[in-house]
Amino acid sequence: MAGSTTSTDFTKEKSAYKVVMWSLFVCTFITLGLGKLDFLDFGPPGADWVDILVGISLAGVKASLVSLIFMHLNHEKGLIYKMLLFTLAFFISLMGLTLFAGSDPIVEQYETLQTTKGNLTETPVTND
Amino acid sequence: MEIPYEVTPRRDTGLFNAKLGIWLFLASEVMLFGGLFSAYVFLRVGVQEGVDTPWPWGINVHKDFVYLGFLNTLVLILSSVWVVFAWVALKERNWRKFQLYMYGVVACAMIFMVVKGIEYNSKLNHHHGIKLTDNSVMEGTIVHGTDKIDFTGTKFTFNLQGGLPGFIKDITKDDVGFSLEGEESVEFANAAEVKAWFLKSRSKVANELALERKRYRSELAVDRDSAKPVSVNTKATVIAKGPIQMKANPRKVVAHSATSLSYKDGTSVEGKLVRDAVEFVVHEVDMQLVLPQNQRTSIVWDVIGDEGAKKQFFDAQKLRYDELAEYYEKRGKTIPLSTMRGYILNLHPVHIGGHGDDHGDGDHKEHGKEKKDGDHHAGVSTHLSEAIPTADTESAGSEEGHEHGGHDEHTISVPRDKIKFMGNHGPRYGNYYAIYFTMTALHGLHVVGGALVLLFMVVFGKKLYLKNPEHLANRVEVGGLFWHFVDLVWIFLFPLMYLL
Repeated sequence: MAGSTTSTDFTKEKSAYKVVMWSLFVCTFITLGLGKLDFLDFGPPGADWVDILVGISLAGVKASLVSLIFMHLNHEKGLIYKMLLFTLAFFISLMGLTLFAGSDPIVEQYETLQTTKGNLTETPVTND
Repeated sequence: MEIPYEVTPRRDTGLFNAKLGIWLFLASEVMLFGGLFSAYVFLRVGVQEGVDTPWPWGINVHKDFVYLGFLNTLVLILSSVWVVFAWVALKERNWRKFQLYMYGVVACAMIFMVVKGIEYNSKLNHHHGIKLTDNSVMEGTIVHGTDKIDFTGTKFTFNLQGGLPGFIKDITKDDVGFSLEGEESVEFANAAEVKAWFLKSRSKVANELALERKRYRSELAVDRDSAKPVSVNTKATVIAKGPIQMKANPRKVVAHSATSLSYKDGTSVEGKLVRDAVEFVVHEVDMQLVLPQNQRTSIVWDVIGDEGAKKQFFDAQKLRYDELAEYYEKRGKTIPLSTMRGYILNLHPVHIGGHGDDHGDGDHKEHGKEKKDGDHHAGVSTHLSEAIPTADTESAGSEEGHEHGGHDEHTISVPRDKIKFMGNHGPRYGNYYAIYFTMTALHGLHVVGGALVLLFMVVFGKKLYLKNPEHLANRVEVGGLFWHFVDLVWIFLFPLMYLL
């Protein structure tokens, strides 16, 4: 990209940057509305997993716009894509490690408490 | 010496070296922030309403900052656009425009950090919470200095080893003077003189101890049975000539009674407890950790001492319950247990001395409107539903409210023996605040670092621009990539930390 773009190309790119900027602003307003406006509250009243999903998806759209247009990932060299793919795979596998927490005995204790319904106590219930 | 591939790309990679370098660096940054985002998800998903620490505490107070976070998002987006325009300006060989955009980016970074500073200051100095012994929580503001233990000391016993005795910093008025117990001729005009004497005596005691140990070792070598053990007086007591006013820091005090204070460092003070209550301005009551059936008899209502405030809380709770019940009823479902124990039903603003009919929340979204009383529980089968009150069952309470020993009608006096924990909305306040401060502070450091690099390029870049503008353009591109990454991180932080 460096040194290879003509003046005409920049005019096109500049208008693309402006479009992206306004899109980012609009997405940010919608994100704010998710937390503040009644008609943008999806799912049950209050913040819940539906709102979180919508909010994160919007953030994903914004992040894609920034990385593809501003960071020029829409026309980058292959080596960078390979590097980022490796990072992504590594990141996902590390995030996957948190799944092991499901078999954590501490979590189990809290779940036991949860099932006691109205009779919660401060002392964790043990299984023995 | 000419460094290769600073301007022209390498044939094998197709990239100039700095670009490959910055992408490798950004990959490592992805892992760094990825780990923290993963920790965030882990902590958040792990929260069990009604059992674990609520996420976050004082959610309404926190939501006051949404607009600051929103402003910062807009500022960072603008700066991202300007940094890319600065790069274009260089490509078009327009130095003036480049300067303008780059200074704009740095200004945005400064605005971002100032806003963040306002937010941090507010959280750390103006927002507090008090958790009472039955796990009910009051959110609001501790009146400055009233979290200290009000005590008048007359006799101070402390170690002549280690750090400065805790009581010295806690003395607020010391004009009566002190004398050393056992050596009445040694007198001190004030605490500063006690401090100076302590520092001198500490060295003396250290030397005496060293000599005594040496003597003991030598005696041991001669005759094990007759060696005299090490004996050095490491304690000192000073007597005040009158009551000394103190405001003891509760974090340094391990125990206290009506006549004594014991510090963690071993210092003990004899005297008289003057006042042992914290002055607090209540903004909201959080019952997430109190079982619904115990909420009406919670000690928080005794502490607040205002029936109007109690009525406000339970009226607001009823309103929320009706909204939720209607939503789930339509779908043939019951309200989930997590929601029953969560903040939507169990955290509401209260106004002491205000009128009981104020449901104003200001931060919650207003879901639905007022409904008629009566069958709002009908068809919603939940084992906790009987615990949710109706406005009819709640006594109207005092419309006037009353003072409770505080400074004004909004301030209450919280006895210390009813407090389980109190603190500001800093990292200690809970998992949410810990991860919030970790991530936003790390992000803030990136903003500062990125802005400094970009500032360097615009201030000192003219020479390089005149020599080889393409080289400077490549540098700005690389700096800009980092700046976009900083923006990317914030794009995710904003909804996660402020809105959801």
